[in-house]
Amino acid sequence: MTFLRHSGGDCVRAWDTMPWVLQNSATREQGEWLEDHLAHCESCRTEFAQQSRLRHAMSLPTDISIDANAGLRRLLGRLDMPDAQEAPYRSRPRHGFSRVLVAVVLVQALSIGVLGVKLWSASGSPLYRTLSQESVPAAPGTIRVVPDATMTLADWNALLHTLRLQVVGGPNDMGAYTVAPTSATSAAQALQQLRATRGIRLAEPVAVSP
Amino acid sequence: MTSTEPMNDDDIDADVTDRMLLQRMSAGDRVALGVLYRSYHGRLCRFLSRLTRRPDVIEEVINDCMWIAWQKAGNFHGDSRVSTWLMGIAYRCGLKALRQHGDEPVEGDISSEQRTPAHDLDDEDRELRDWLSKGLDHLSVDQRVVIELVYGVGHTLDDVAVIMQCPVGTVKARLFHARVKLRNVLPALAGESPMHQGNVP
Repeated sequence: MTFLRHSGGDCVRAWDTMPWVLQNSATREQGEWLEDHLAHCESCRTEFAQQSRLRHAMSLPTDISIDANAGLRRLLGRLDMPDAQEAPYRSRPRHGFSRVLVAVVLVQALSIGVLGVKLWSASGSPLYRTLSQESVPAAPGTIRVVPDATMTLADWNALLHTLRLQVVGGPNDMGAYTVAPTSATSAAQALQQLRATRGIRLAEPVAVSP
Repeated sequence: MTSTEPMNDDDIDADVTDRMLLQRMSAGDRVALGVLYRSYHGRLCRFLSRLTRRPDVIEEVINDCMWIAWQKAGNFHGDSRVSTWLMGIAYRCGLKALRQHGDEPVEGDISSEQRTPAHDLDDEDRELRDWLSKGLDHLSVDQRVVIELVYGVGHTLDDVAVIMQCPVGTVKARLFHARVKLRNVLPALAGESPMHQGNVP
C-alpha cells in the first residue's frame, strides 16, 4: 500500500493505532501520541478522516429490518415445543442430501454383495500358480531330454515331430526339456528311440508320483 | 497494545447487567431472555447482515443463537464478556447457516417493509451506507466480520480472536487487508478520487 510503503515507522504505528482510538479503547498516551502525529502528518490526517467515516458508516443501522418482537415470539414458541431440547438446525430440510447418501451406501453394499457371490461361485482353479505351490505333477509318459548343445533347432524339431513328442517344459538350468507324447505313442518306444538318436545326451522318464 | 485494553466503565456496567440476565435465564426466567434478546437484536442483526442479506436467515440465526444462550446460560463461566460469548455463538451459527443455505440464493429479495425506513438517515448517511455496502462486497466473509466487530461493534483484537476462534495474528492480518481493500474501493469514504490515494498491491 502506497500510504504505508512511503511512510515512516510513525505512520505505520499511527495506522495500527487508529481503529482503537476511534473505538475509545486506546490508552490516553496512545491517543495523545496519535493526535500529536496527526498534527504534523497530512497523509495520516487524511487517513484518519477516512477511518472516521468508515467507523461512522459501520455504526449506521443495517438496511435490513427484522421485527425483534416477532422473532422473540417465535423463539419463545420454540421453547414451548415438546421437542425443545432439539439441537438447532435439526428441523431444517437436509433430507434430500441424507437420502442421496443412504442411496449411495445401499448401492455400494449391494455391489459388494453381488461381487462376493460371483467370486464365491466362480469355479475352476485360477489361471496362475504361485511360487509356494507345488509343481504340477508330470503326466504319465513324460520324458526329460537333454539335447546336445550342437544339435540344431531344425534337427530338434524334426526329432520331436518324428517321435510325436512335444515340449511341455524346460529347458531348465541344466538345459533339460520335458517332452510328452502327443498321441497314443508308446512312451517306452519313444524313450528308446531318443536314446538311440545321435545328439541326445540324456533321455530319462520322469518319475510319476503315485 | 491498544487492542487489548481493559473495558471502560460503560462496558463493565453492560457486562454486569448481561451476566445477571444470564443468571436469571439459567433459572428459567423468560423475561430475562426477552430483555437480552431485545438488547442484542440490533447489533446481531447488523453483524449477521455482513454475512448474508437474507432476512429469514438472519432471524433464524439470531433465534438459534439465543436458543443456545438460553440452554447454556448456566454454563457461562465468565471467561469473556457476555457480548463476546454471544457474538461467538452468533458467528458460528451464522457460518453454519451459510453452509446450509449455500445452495440457495445468498442475496435474498428484501421487501420494502424489511428495509429500514430511509427517513431515519439523512442523505449523507444513506449514501455512506450504500457505498459501504458496495465496498464490503469486495471483502471475504471473514474480513467483513472482522471489520464489523472492530469498527461496528467495537471489539478488541483479543475479543475478535475469541469470537472467531483463531489467533490474534490472524485477526490482525484480516483487519489489515480489509482496511486496505476498503480504502481503495470506497472512494466516497475518502471523499476524493481513489487515484489520489495510492493503490493496494
